Amino acid sequence: MEIRVKCGCGEDECSEWTIVELQGVVETQSSFQGSVQSLEIGRLCHSDSSQYTFTVGYHELTGSKVTLKKPLLVLKKLQKCTDGSSQKETELEVVGIIRSKILFKTRPKPLFSGTSGK
Amino acid sequence: MEESGSSGGAQAVINLGIGSSVPISYHASFGPHEDLLLLEADENLVSDIFSGRVTLRGLPDEDAVLCTKSKTYAIKFVGNSNSMLLIPPSNTPGFLQDDDESHVSVIKLAPGNMELVEVSPKLDKLKKLLMESPLNAGEVEDAMMMDDGEKNLALYTWSDLANTIQASDEELRKGLESLSAIEIDGYWRVIDESYLDMILRMLLNNSVLNSWCFDGLDEEDVVSSLVADEFPSELAGHCLRVFGSEVKEINKWKLEPRLVCLHFARQVLGEEKMRLESFMEEWKKKIPEGMEGKFEMLEGEVLTERIGIETRVYKFSVRSLPSTPAERFAVLFKHRPKWEWKDLEPYLRDLHVPRLSMEGLLLKYTRRAQSRPDAEPIFSAR
Repeated sequence: MEIRVKCGCGEDECSEWTIVELQGVVETQSSFQGSVQSLEIGRLCHSDSSQYTFTVGYHELTGSKVTLKKPLLVLKKLQKCTDGSSQKETELEVVGIIRSKILFKTRPKPLFSGTSGK
Repeated sequence: MEESGSSGGAQAVINLGIGSSVPISYHASFGPHEDLLLLEADENLVSDIFSGRVTLRGLPDEDAVLCTKSKTYAIKFVGNSNSMLLIPPSNTPGFLQDDDESHVSVIKLAPGNMELVEVSPKLDKLKKLLMESPLNAGEVEDAMMMDDGEKNLALYTWSDLANTIQASDEELRKGLESLSAIEIDGYWRVIDESYLDMILRMLLNNSVLNSWCFDGLDEEDVVSSLVADEFPSELAGHCLRVFGSEVKEINKWKLEPRLVCLHFARQVLGEEKMRLESFMEEWKKKIPEGMEGKFEMLEGEVLTERIGIETRVYKFSVRSLPSTPAERFAVLFKHRPKWEWKDLEPYLRDLHVPRLSMEGLLLKYTRRAQSRPDAEPIFSAR
């Protein structure tokens, strides 16, 4: 089969997505019951010209903005029924492009209430 | 610290000012979203994609490849053990949520991304498909007597081929050219060798009868003479393309001695192994006057072996070998465990592997032995 990679927009108008990348896994507290949708994860701060911090729960991560050497395209896979036939056709559409990400590589620094940590 | 305020989504992160902060939440529709994929692409590929020139090709049971106009890429999924929080811009269709403007939301945890690795086009299948129904004299005769739609042949249009063969358009075209295929009635065909022989011999005959020069054949003259002999005009023109080259300055065609002589060498040998002397005799008889058959012309098309004091020669065409290096070397070493470079090289010349030179190929797939520093190196399987 031949699947054309489509995009509804030109390169310049393509919507820009981004990524916040952390080492490890973000988890909800074990006492939390329910779904995570709409739950706040943490707070991202652009603290310094080249430094970002991300505070999740009692941890603070430090990181920086990285421009991707090779952009990432965000593709959406669609299954369409072509008119007049019962066959499903797969289509791939470019829905966004990612040119930079905020990368956190350091060990999380524990924060204690009342102090800002060292 | 100030809130960045008025906009949400990816823009809020990308444009986050120094001293500003923003909360990041899970999107109201956070989930696995397995239909959302990340593809790493260099800037050239990005342009190609936005110009609509990129397709994925392959059959359901194969690994898909990505094709631009001229290159073919294998698609590899590379996992990332880090947590990649994927954040779309606010107001992304399909992922709308209330108060979108003021939220930065993660739609998905991306497990990794797809990477592209340039590969050689997979053209072996092309030959196999077209060889299912080579065009022969019988079919042409029948076609003149019955109407279309009665053929029970496996026939492929360009579109059929593009849907099945994992190669870019340009590579597919080159593949068809190397098979001397011709498009007739919308179907791509290879011509049966004995039928092609008939057409060529008639072409040569007519040239001699009309005192035409092999170096300056007029296409119209050639075609009309062959049509008069009841050959289809497309095949007449095709014959010129297979055995000749265009001389654009004078708008004529020149027959290439190597291609014509090679054709007759193959006719003489058939499936047999012949004594070299007998072959040379028979071959010279078939070669048209004015052309000279030199054994070097048959490089990559025939092999010789010594049986006692005799040298025998037989057909062994590079075009019958697999196009991928691993399989090519496997077939070559199965046929003959040890090769001298001068015999081996013609069978490797056409191998083009991205990122690998001939040296690299030899290093990867062969073992090299030299009995003395000044002796010919011998290559065998690794």
